[in-house]
Amino acid sequence: MTLTDERKPSEEEAANPELERGAERREAWRGFLHAVPAYAYLIVFFVLPLVIVFVFSFASRGRTGRPLLEDWNVDGWARLTDPLVRTIVGRSLLVAVMNTVFCLVIGYAFAYWIATRRKQSTRTLLLILVLIPFWSNFLVRTYAWRMLLDSDGYITQLGEFTGLWGRTLFTLPAVFLGLLYGYLPFMVLPLYAAIERIDWSLVEAGRDLYASGVKAFLRITLPLSRPGIIAGSILVFVPSLGAYVTPDILGGAKTTLLGNFIVTQFGAARNWPFGSALSGAILIVMLLATILYFRTGGRTV
Amino acid sequence: MTASTAAVGIHGVTKRFGEDVVAVDDIDLEIQDGEFFSLLGPSGCGKTTTLRMIAGLEYPTAGSIRIFGEEMGLRPPNKRPINTVFQSYALFPHMNVEDNIGFGLRMQKVEKAEVSSRVGEAIDLVRLTGLNSRRPGELSGGQQQRVALARALVNRPKVLLLDEPLGALDLKLRQTMQLELKDIQSNVGITFVYVTHDQEEALTMSDRIGVMNHGQLVQVGRSEDIYEFPSNMFVAGFVGEMSFLPGEVVETGSVRLAGGEVVRARTDSSPGTSITLILRPEKLHLYGEVSEVPPGRNVLNGSVSRRTFYGNSLSYEVELGASGSFDVQVENVPSQTRWDVGDKVVIDFHHEAASALAE
Amino acid sequence: MTSRHAASGRTRTDRWLSLNGWFVFAFLYLPILVVIVFSFSGAANVGTWGGFSLRWYRRLAGNEQLLASLENSLWVALYSTIVATVFGTAAALALDRYRRWASRGTFDAILYLPVIIPDVTMAVMLLLWFTQIGLPLGRASIILAHIAFNISFVAIVVRARLAHMDSSMEEAAADLYATRWQTFRRVTLPLIMPGVLGGALLALTLSLDDVVITSFVQGPGSTTLPVHVFGLIRRSVTPEINAVSTLMVTASMILVFSSLAIQRRGEN
Repeated sequence: MTLTDERKPSEEEAANPELERGAERREAWRGFLHAVPAYAYLIVFFVLPLVIVFVFSFASRGRTGRPLLEDWNVDGWARLTDPLVRTIVGRSLLVAVMNTVFCLVIGYAFAYWIATRRKQSTRTLLLILVLIPFWSNFLVRTYAWRMLLDSDGYITQLGEFTGLWGRTLFTLPAVFLGLLYGYLPFMVLPLYAAIERIDWSLVEAGRDLYASGVKAFLRITLPLSRPGIIAGSILVFVPSLGAYVTPDILGGAKTTLLGNFIVTQFGAARNWPFGSALSGAILIVMLLATILYFRTGGRTV
Repeated sequence: MTASTAAVGIHGVTKRFGEDVVAVDDIDLEIQDGEFFSLLGPSGCGKTTTLRMIAGLEYPTAGSIRIFGEEMGLRPPNKRPINTVFQSYALFPHMNVEDNIGFGLRMQKVEKAEVSSRVGEAIDLVRLTGLNSRRPGELSGGQQQRVALARALVNRPKVLLLDEPLGALDLKLRQTMQLELKDIQSNVGITFVYVTHDQEEALTMSDRIGVMNHGQLVQVGRSEDIYEFPSNMFVAGFVGEMSFLPGEVVETGSVRLAGGEVVRARTDSSPGTSITLILRPEKLHLYGEVSEVPPGRNVLNGSVSRRTFYGNSLSYEVELGASGSFDVQVENVPSQTRWDVGDKVVIDFHHEAASALAE
Repeated sequence: MTSRHAASGRTRTDRWLSLNGWFVFAFLYLPILVVIVFSFSGAANVGTWGGFSLRWYRRLAGNEQLLASLENSLWVALYSTIVATVFGTAAALALDRYRRWASRGTFDAILYLPVIIPDVTMAVMLLLWFTQIGLPLGRASIILAHIAFNISFVAIVVRARLAHMDSSMEEAAADLYATRWQTFRRVTLPLIMPGVLGGALLALTLSLDDVVITSFVQGPGSTTLPVHVFGLIRRSVTPEINAVSTLMVTASMILVFSSLAIQRRGEN
């Protein structure tokens, strides 16, 4: 920055545009200095690693699986079109979309219910009840389902008793349930923040304007809670797309998702360039989601 | 007095935000020692920006701001011999009344014993005795206002800046505080620079008023002069109630209205100039017959087109035909005739009560 | 408020919403409760009640590997939380309290990414980077990784607090002769403290929870508790895991309640 070669102005000098600009620049510089530790840290331990994923996705595979920075190729990316890979990517996208939709529908009704409780104390209490699972260990919460869905688990016993289902562990529905359970709080919190902030007199005015409550909801409440919907959907969709722990614990060989598949590339399959390409694909989705988020002005979390 | 002895000397000060927004446009102003000076104007007129530049919270784009002759330039707020009472009070919520008031003294490394005695005095001055250990959240709006005042005054600043400090209070409390502020100011003798959009507040308290509009200082003068002799249309319309009649100057001291009536008024333009005749509603009188009017007054004929009841007074809108219409305010006392809509009336006013403003 | 009343009227819609609400709470809590209850069961077979017993907890106390991983977890959480809290708070101040500086928007976006990035992706990124720059994998690499995701969470929490704090507080302090440092020390910091502590507790929780990233960047002997437990869970379901899980949930609860208590005190 050019600050150092600027003439250090005396404090006791009548103002002129140059001095004012200098003062503003120094103020901006101070702001930048505050950001420097985090900024530098994230560049070194987030941005550069992010870039290197893309670099390595074009590298060639060494004998140990470690990438060799020579013989650059697009094999990793090309493999994304393999039938097997396509199935996994398709399944992951489907699971992520479905999970987002389910979380949104259930979470919206839930957040709306909390936000419309009359007493502030009731709302606070209900919100705390949401926060506890949100803060609780994700692994433990997933483990709980493994217990319930296993052969002698209560859910399995209930299914066998009613004759409706058997052991669901290691199947796609189990993974699905686990993801819903894991990510629901991430949807509820931003939705609650958005709905809580709604000016209810607008909704009331809408009830007068549009005869039906449904119409008032669709035309007023829903648009007003849009920032929460966008934030919550991104917070659920992107991590679901790369989910690993849940499908690993609750799923089986036939339910491999992108997250597991990537881990396999860095483990048993020893194909780091391909793993990098797969990660790169998720990163691209994430970056697109972020652009969407900032474009729609949904900064609420 | 020369420029160097003014408490606040503002010379050629301009503040631009970004490229296009000119918040303060080349203003010159000198505020004298011990004066209660108000900056009055509608929101967005640049009065608060001007105050913030004096405080050092903004730096001017151009111009000089001096405190008792000393150039402030880019001096940060903590190095200026000035204190501010903020619009929102900005009391520190995590400190009690005493600690809030003593904050400035502690920052200046004043000795402990002196801090506590001066804080005690300040608490007494603003009549908050006994509330020393309350937190701001436990005080009423009026009490918070007094803490903010004491917190600034305790530092014995050379100039005290007040940014609409009474804005958040209800009407009754605001009126009490106006008088109290004025008393405190005369007791401590510190120069007060007071920012407000409330013309009544400015008139009540100030020795002098500077009226601002669109970043410019449009008139500076004693409160009475601002009210009696507004020098332009903006001040005439912004300060107090005013009626406007278009016309032109016939000769010095004489004006012809649009309807042809010729009246005597204060003029300072040459004959033939288009002007607007301005009249204060309370300086007009209504009569039924011309014969009732005291001799030597201006007389106009009109009819009542609207009557509004205000409790202590009544306001009549009087139609003059081609010359336009204006308001007449009449005290609500038994000796006054009540007129109805449609009544023919005679309006009378002293020629000193009407001024001709060139466009 | 009256309109909120109207929205929560005893209508049919509201009854459905309430039903859904309580159903969601049951869905969120019952599984955890089952784990907690069975951690006190004496039976070796999970899912069968074998009478109240603390035997699994006693066994935990003697599990060397588990205790070693717990110690690793605590060190990692402590160091990463301290660094992330300092950096994250400074970042929040930079974004909320200063005039627009060049590349502020870029920083804002970069700061936001670690919040939504899937764990697996971040794990891959860091593993590739650490091996590329030749950083040995171990406790240090885990700490570096945890700081990278925690900075963002701290910054978000502190920023939310700053947004509620009128900047006229700082102006008033400056007007009352406080230097920049004194203003920060005496006014800004005390007022954002609930946010800073809340952010720190969140960072601590996230660090103590992380499985995927840690398992990628760990080295021999540096395994953390969740990674260790993850390994156990993949193998089988045992009452001992129930006991660890119960302790982990209890720790989370303590953290969440501390955080709420701090926020609440900050409001008064």
